[in-house]
Amino acid sequence: MRFECRGLTFTYPEADNPVLENLSFSMAAPGFNAVFGPSGVGKTSFARILAGGNSGPGGNALIYEGISTILYSYNQERLPGWANTGSHLEKVCPPKNSDLRKELVKIFKVDSLLGSRFSQLSMGQQNRMNLIRYLIQNFDLLILDESLANVDEALRETIILAIKEMFPTKLFLYISHNLMEVARFCKDILVLSRPGKNKGAVVVQGQNYETGYTADPQAIDRSLLEIMNAV
Amino acid sequence: MLFRRIYQFLIVYCLGVVGLLTVKYAAGLSNYVIPGLALIFDTAHRMLAGYFLDVLNTLSVTVLGQMISIFMAFFVGIIGRKSSWAGSFIKVMAYNIQAYPIVALAPIIFILLGDGFLSRLLIASMICYFPLLLSVLGIMASPIKDIEHFYIATGRMRWQLEVKIRAFENLNKLTTVIAGSATLAMAGTIVAEFIAADQGIGYSIRIALYQSDLARILVALFSIGIIISVYQGILETVGEQMKTKWFAPKGGDLI
Repeated sequence: MRFECRGLTFTYPEADNPVLENLSFSMAAPGFNAVFGPSGVGKTSFARILAGGNSGPGGNALIYEGISTILYSYNQERLPGWANTGSHLEKVCPPKNSDLRKELVKIFKVDSLLGSRFSQLSMGQQNRMNLIRYLIQNFDLLILDESLANVDEALRETIILAIKEMFPTKLFLYISHNLMEVARFCKDILVLSRPGKNKGAVVVQGQNYETGYTADPQAIDRSLLEIMNAV
Repeated sequence: MLFRRIYQFLIVYCLGVVGLLTVKYAAGLSNYVIPGLALIFDTAHRMLAGYFLDVLNTLSVTVLGQMISIFMAFFVGIIGRKSSWAGSFIKVMAYNIQAYPIVALAPIIFILLGDGFLSRLLIASMICYFPLLLSVLGIMASPIKDIEHFYIATGRMRWQLEVKIRAFENLNKLTTVIAGSATLAMAGTIVAEFIAADQGIGYSIRIALYQSDLARILVALFSIGIIISVYQGILETVGEQMKTKWFAPKGGDLI
């Protein structure tokens, strides 16, 4: 399982400059990886291109080995409002993943919210509920574009560690602006810098902590510095 | 909702009558041109029951015509929602046809179909169909990306689900358009009866017009106003009930 990008360039129609220019890197899979970079650098565009697979705008620049099903989840997605969230989750859950759904509902602390409509939830609760319905699908690569935004830090850590533990054979690409979180929990971190800085894309090693970890402050500082230098 | 519509109509109607009476007394016009209150009440006493039945006759055609229009608008709107060749063709055609005054086609329909029930029904349907179609097309052709994305990405999207999502997200707009189209359907039926029919309130107004009897026309307008207000009020109440059933209860807006 491997995923590579060779010279990906993408320009939006009617835009003067490309949002992604000659992007090349390689990532080993499985693992909980990240895409990091300042706002407007093209993280979401990149994620959407990835989600399109070889038939999307990325075309032959993207090489997926052992990855066939790619899902892209993003912050601010909504569930339909005509039924409660519990019944939506049940409806979209493949029968074999029913136990997984129940477990995720507990870990994500949304069990008391299953009788509520999506619009009645807070933004953090909405994002957690949305992420659960992606995790119970069959996928090889799941892109999480700010999917844990508005969730408090402690719960976010619990969720990330649980995902890493429960899905050891899947590849995740976590897009976040939280530098510390990315440095601590992600394996490979693709750092995108603004076009024109001539840095291109750099893959930095994160600390990839797992459940029961003991933090090494020096190692975290090293990862943080590497990421900041690459931006 | 229902009573508010009736109050609103009564206010507008009374203002209209007061305006007419002001003109009558200011210009010193006779009862033949603008009837006085006594004559209006006397005409109402004699004609109101009959006119109410005529309006109900017209309303039955209106309701049927509107139902046909709603069904047709959703049928064509659902087919035309895609950005395919057929979808684009339907949209362009609908936009062009709605720009044409459909009432002008009424004589052709009467020549071809005669002055029976079918002609009235067809004109009523046609008049409220195109505005409805444009609204339904607009709603059905606009993706709700933040909801639909998941279903498309996971291969779960079906046309029924797509239509349900878009209809649900635009329920307020749809309810307003459907309630508003009732007036158009009623106008279409009355125009049809007015041009060439032998029943309905439009036909009664035509007789009153030939007799230059403004009192009768005012009584006819009163009965039309009351009944269309009740009908629209019922439509809006049904829409409200649907929304209450479908939407989550709100605890109140903070801002």
